[in-house]
Amino acid sequence: MTIFSTIAGVTLRALLGRRRTLLMLLLASTPVLLGLLVRANDNELRNVGPTIDGFVVRVVLPLIALVFGTAALGAELDDGTAIHILTKPISRWTIVVSKTAMAGTLTAALVVPSTILGGILLGGTGSPNLGVTLAFALANFIGSYLYVAIFLTLSVATSRGLIIGLAYALIWEGVVAGLLPGSQVFSVREYIGGIAQALAPKAVADSIVGAGGFAYAAIVLVLAIGFGSLRLSTYEIRGTD
Amino acid sequence: MTMSPAADPGAVGPATATPTPTSAPTPNGPEPAISLERVSRWYGNVVAVNDISFALAPGITGLLGPNGAGKTTLLHMLAGLLRPSSGRIRVAGQAAWHNPSVYRSIGLVPEREAVHSFLTGREFATLAARLQRLDDPVAAAAKAMQTVDLEAAADRPIGTYSKGMRQRAKIAAALVHEPPILLLDEPFNGMDPRQRIHMMALLRSMAAAGRTILFSSHILEEVERLADGVLVIVAGRLAAAGDYREIRRLMTDRPHTFLVRSSDDRSLAAAFMAEPAVFGAELRENRLTVRVAEFAGFTRAVARVARDASVTLYEVGPTDDSLESVFAYLVSRR
Repeated sequence: MTIFSTIAGVTLRALLGRRRTLLMLLLASTPVLLGLLVRANDNELRNVGPTIDGFVVRVVLPLIALVFGTAALGAELDDGTAIHILTKPISRWTIVVSKTAMAGTLTAALVVPSTILGGILLGGTGSPNLGVTLAFALANFIGSYLYVAIFLTLSVATSRGLIIGLAYALIWEGVVAGLLPGSQVFSVREYIGGIAQALAPKAVADSIVGAGGFAYAAIVLVLAIGFGSLRLSTYEIRGTD
Repeated sequence: MTMSPAADPGAVGPATATPTPTSAPTPNGPEPAISLERVSRWYGNVVAVNDISFALAPGITGLLGPNGAGKTTLLHMLAGLLRPSSGRIRVAGQAAWHNPSVYRSIGLVPEREAVHSFLTGREFATLAARLQRLDDPVAAAAKAMQTVDLEAAADRPIGTYSKGMRQRAKIAAALVHEPPILLLDEPFNGMDPRQRIHMMALLRSMAAAGRTILFSSHILEEVERLADGVLVIVAGRLAAAGDYREIRRLMTDRPHTFLVRSSDDRSLAAAFMAEPAVFGAELRENRLTVRVAEFAGFTRAVARVARDASVTLYEVGPTDDSLESVFAYLVSRR
């Protein structure tokens, strides 16, 4: 077993071993439930894009990523369990990457099926809805790792990672990015929209970043992991007498 | 908190290892396992560790001090988990701060209980072995579990362990790569007397094998029974460092107050006053309080004085043996 898989393995067990997984599963199932509701009324959406964007991308994905991203490392730093990994001859970069990979995979494992199932139930398998659904599935897959990397880094940089992450998702992305033109380039949601639009033009009505979302996502992912590793390498233990 | 001056300090510690904490690193010779030069650490305006220097060679050293004295801060700095605000720390010939490779040479047993409760003891030790990149992590973990006498419970989740068992699981994980330096923060907390004896024997044998062991404690007897070198830290300062016997002499030679109950307190008080070790006796509310200049001298004399005065002793006990008073005395001597 490599160091990477060892850390990822114990992170997975820590993330799954708690009640939060059940709650996240419930949250991830809401688009499916919504789709079932629409089906029950014998309806089908003409364009599934705005619904996936407004519900999965804006609410479900950031919340799940926030919970797993901050729990993967920040919560362990706070409760002291991280000390057992920190006091090993492992580069801090390895710790951040393996934990980001695991929490991102877990987030994607919930959000991507939720996007596909919800999208198909809401919009069917015809054109262009199936294409839009699959485009969002891929965009959300990328977005899962991106959000997790940002939230994980926040949780290393500050003990209030959860609150700041929530503020970012709700206030910055929800309000500010909508009011201030240009600020969208600092919004993960905008990258996801751009990626989805690049894959299926009808996914979102307009995207400022467009296909540039791929590049923005890659840059922000690298920056978040780099900054998180840097912060972890000078991390000072909390709660010392 | 009581001290027993009759105990033989020569019986303490391993015969083969003699740690010699000194107040400054050795200028010549091989680099000591652990060395601190004028290390301080402050949080805002609060000074947690104040200008501490010492060097440690292989053997067991006790880091003694009251709660909140800065022991954990010091250990965390040695373990590279806190950056010293000033000064220099070297562990196993390397910088302790910002240097993960130093953990090949360190085993840390933190005081906090925090361990993933879903892991079994064996999984926890195996995890440590894998993260240390050992060739055979499973065998190394099995050996460590055997060393701490936790084999019977090795496959139970740590969440079901008692406090003492969790402590041993943490020690097993810290030992798994057989580090030359072991740092333990209050390792005996929560252990029952049998576990304590076993752990002390284990630490002695590891010191005898040439390891440098530093453990913190606020309990004098633990340090007395285990360590032959001692660092006394009070309010962030190094109050005393060196051979335990020497420091204990300082502790035991300080003025003491004893409370005595006997069949005839008044006669006994008069008899005590003739003793050179006694410089005051007070009889109040049927309690005889005796102030003595020297702890050991008085404890040797008390039975003889009572016998000569034909008085039966019911109770003799020191009244001011709280650890804090011992520390305060050591600090006042600096």
